[in-house]
Amino acid sequence: MRKFLAVVKREYVQRVRTKMFILVTLLAPVVISFFGIAPAVIFSIKPGGPVRIAVVDGTGKLYPRLYDAVMNDAADTEESPTDQTQSIQSGNLRTGLKQITKDRQANLELQEINPAGRSLSQLRTELDRRLQVKELDGYLILPPDLLHDAKAQFFGRNSGDVFTRRSLQKALSEAVRDERLVEANINVKTLQELSKPVELEGVNIGASGEERDSGEGFLLVFAVGFVMYLTILMYGQVVLGAVLEEKETRIAEILFSSVKPFTLMMGKLVGVSMVALTQLAIWGLAFSAFAFYGAGLLTSRGLPIHIPNIPAINFVYFTLFFLLGYFIYSTIYALVGSMVTTAQEGGQLSMPIILLLIVGFYLFYPVINSPDSSFAFWVSMFPFFSPITMLVRIVTQKPPFWQIALSLLIGFSSVVLITWFCSRIYRIGMLMYGKRVSIPEAWRWLRAA
Amino acid sequence: MPKSEITVKLDRVSKSFGEFKAVSELSLAVRAGRIFGLLGPNGAGKTTTIRMIVNITAPDSGSIELFGRHIDPKLQDWIGYLPEERGLYKKMKIGDQLKFFAELKNVKGKEAEHRIDHWLRKLKLTEWKNKRSMELSKGMQQKIQFITAVLHDPDLVILDEPFSGLDPVNVALLKEIVLELKAANKTIIFSTHQMELAEQICDDICLINRARKVLDGSLREIKKSFGRNLVALRIEGENGILGDSSLVSKIEQHSDEMEVLLAPNASPQDLLRKLVDSGAIVTKFEMIEASLHDIFIEKVSEAQ
Repeated sequence: MRKFLAVVKREYVQRVRTKMFILVTLLAPVVISFFGIAPAVIFSIKPGGPVRIAVVDGTGKLYPRLYDAVMNDAADTEESPTDQTQSIQSGNLRTGLKQITKDRQANLELQEINPAGRSLSQLRTELDRRLQVKELDGYLILPPDLLHDAKAQFFGRNSGDVFTRRSLQKALSEAVRDERLVEANINVKTLQELSKPVELEGVNIGASGEERDSGEGFLLVFAVGFVMYLTILMYGQVVLGAVLEEKETRIAEILFSSVKPFTLMMGKLVGVSMVALTQLAIWGLAFSAFAFYGAGLLTSRGLPIHIPNIPAINFVYFTLFFLLGYFIYSTIYALVGSMVTTAQEGGQLSMPIILLLIVGFYLFYPVINSPDSSFAFWVSMFPFFSPITMLVRIVTQKPPFWQIALSLLIGFSSVVLITWFCSRIYRIGMLMYGKRVSIPEAWRWLRAA
Repeated sequence: MPKSEITVKLDRVSKSFGEFKAVSELSLAVRAGRIFGLLGPNGAGKTTTIRMIVNITAPDSGSIELFGRHIDPKLQDWIGYLPEERGLYKKMKIGDQLKFFAELKNVKGKEAEHRIDHWLRKLKLTEWKNKRSMELSKGMQQKIQFITAVLHDPDLVILDEPFSGLDPVNVALLKEIVLELKAANKTIIFSTHQMELAEQICDDICLINRARKVLDGSLREIKKSFGRNLVALRIEGENGILGDSSLVSKIEQHSDEMEVLLAPNASPQDLLRKLVDSGAIVTKFEMIEASLHDIFIEKVSEAQ
């Protein structure tokens, strides 16, 4: 036991003490928040003032409605600042895009062109000239039969500006629809009230009949999966390096004359994992502190805070399956490390691990659809997929306890078994003097040594 | 510590790697409190034999006993091993590193600190304790590695080519320490292919070649049995005595002396007496003992 602890301590202390560790731990939150905020900030930059658009209204009555539609959008954006903060916080790309579109709509400047007896081609020559001298950014021609034909033309200098075109199209559709409604004698307000969308609330019926909202739990599973994925990507290489260290420095033989290979491997795995967990804990605490601060700020402004309704036992499961996922993939990295002689070789061989990880992630979807199927059962027992799939099952349609326990048992036994494999391959590989091991060879060694 | 007259005993031990026979039917006994030379050319099977003794790899057949007990990982704590393949953690401070190796041998913290200071002082490396090993010269690193082998006060110390790459001053220093260990009744296995060194410090030797034992026993006895009746001679006024084929079978002339191989059954005493009687002035008359190097060459070429 003292030997095991000595290995754990060395792996831990040597890593936590490095400047690199301290730097990454401190800077990562800064970098991540930068990536969260920077796109929103960059997209909101509006160089060169509003987009100036001239409108030639052939129908003679649509311009006021179009103007209103454009200006309404602008007002919407200004009136809902909470929308903005939400979209930045959640980092959700789609909300972010909506946000940008809104911003650009607010940034249109319309002006009506009075034909004053001039023909369409005369007007176009005139407008083209104004485009060229940059008095205008574009112009819109509404033909007289727009209400029936529903086709208009937009001429612009910057045809790549999809945002402007999209918001013009939307405003125009709105204007045309409203005008048509008026012509058909239908009240716009009544129609809006009548076509209000239905809200669908998700309520789960558990085995004991209690009602739970699975939506938030589900998001949490996704978050756990994502953190697991990132941790494995970051620390898998560290585990690989740790296993390689004694090979590259030629200390392995000295160590093996003092400590059993299995003890050494386990010690390395646990030591490096504690480094990863230390880092995650620091980030977790920082994040919670910010979240509480932010929540406090919002409540003080009178905004309601919704605290997710998740059974406490699920947090225990999140933790256990997170650890399982982390360990099972780390041992695979260790296995690669035990077979190769340099980190470069290890990098190439570890590609399939990432693929396995991604497959596990995608299994999310079929399992959500039928969490009770035998397919879901088997994938949630398979150690490389169970960390995510079993969590999905737990938050959607909780499986019986024995299934969860069995999944954990299989998973953690696999961790021990793979570590044992590693230690054997590692020991024999060391005795063979720095030659990379082929998989059939590794298999033969396992049986022979 | 279990006491035993024989520290290490191998009984018909064999080990192969695939088709390759690394050690074949090797039996040997290392006596307690002596320096045992495990000698042989490169690739003879020395390192594999040692690895089996320190329990890094298991023999395919045969048995190994340490301190009179069947081999067991727990016995590793009583062995100090300096492998030929050796290194240090590059970025770890020397002090921390030695502490780690001590912990791996079950030495408690305080005691470890004490011994680390003792050994660093002894090997004149005290001021390097807080340096990283990558800042040390190769020779210094080798001395640190030597410390890791003796730090836990083992009863059996196995040194695989411990002097390779060291300067003469450090070779002398380490040799002195090895002799001190012997004086403290430790058993030392010393593996090398440098015969001159083995000749200087070993009490017993075992010569292996191509996985097999060629000969073993005490160095003194072995050398005696290899007496080859060779005389180094420097004389003035020789009167045809050396031409007597019943006394001398071969003469090799060097610059100021000659090497004389006595005829079979001729005694060196006879030759000396006859030379003196004939009036020759003998300024040098010395029986040349076969060196370990000669024995080694002879035995190895004999086996091939």
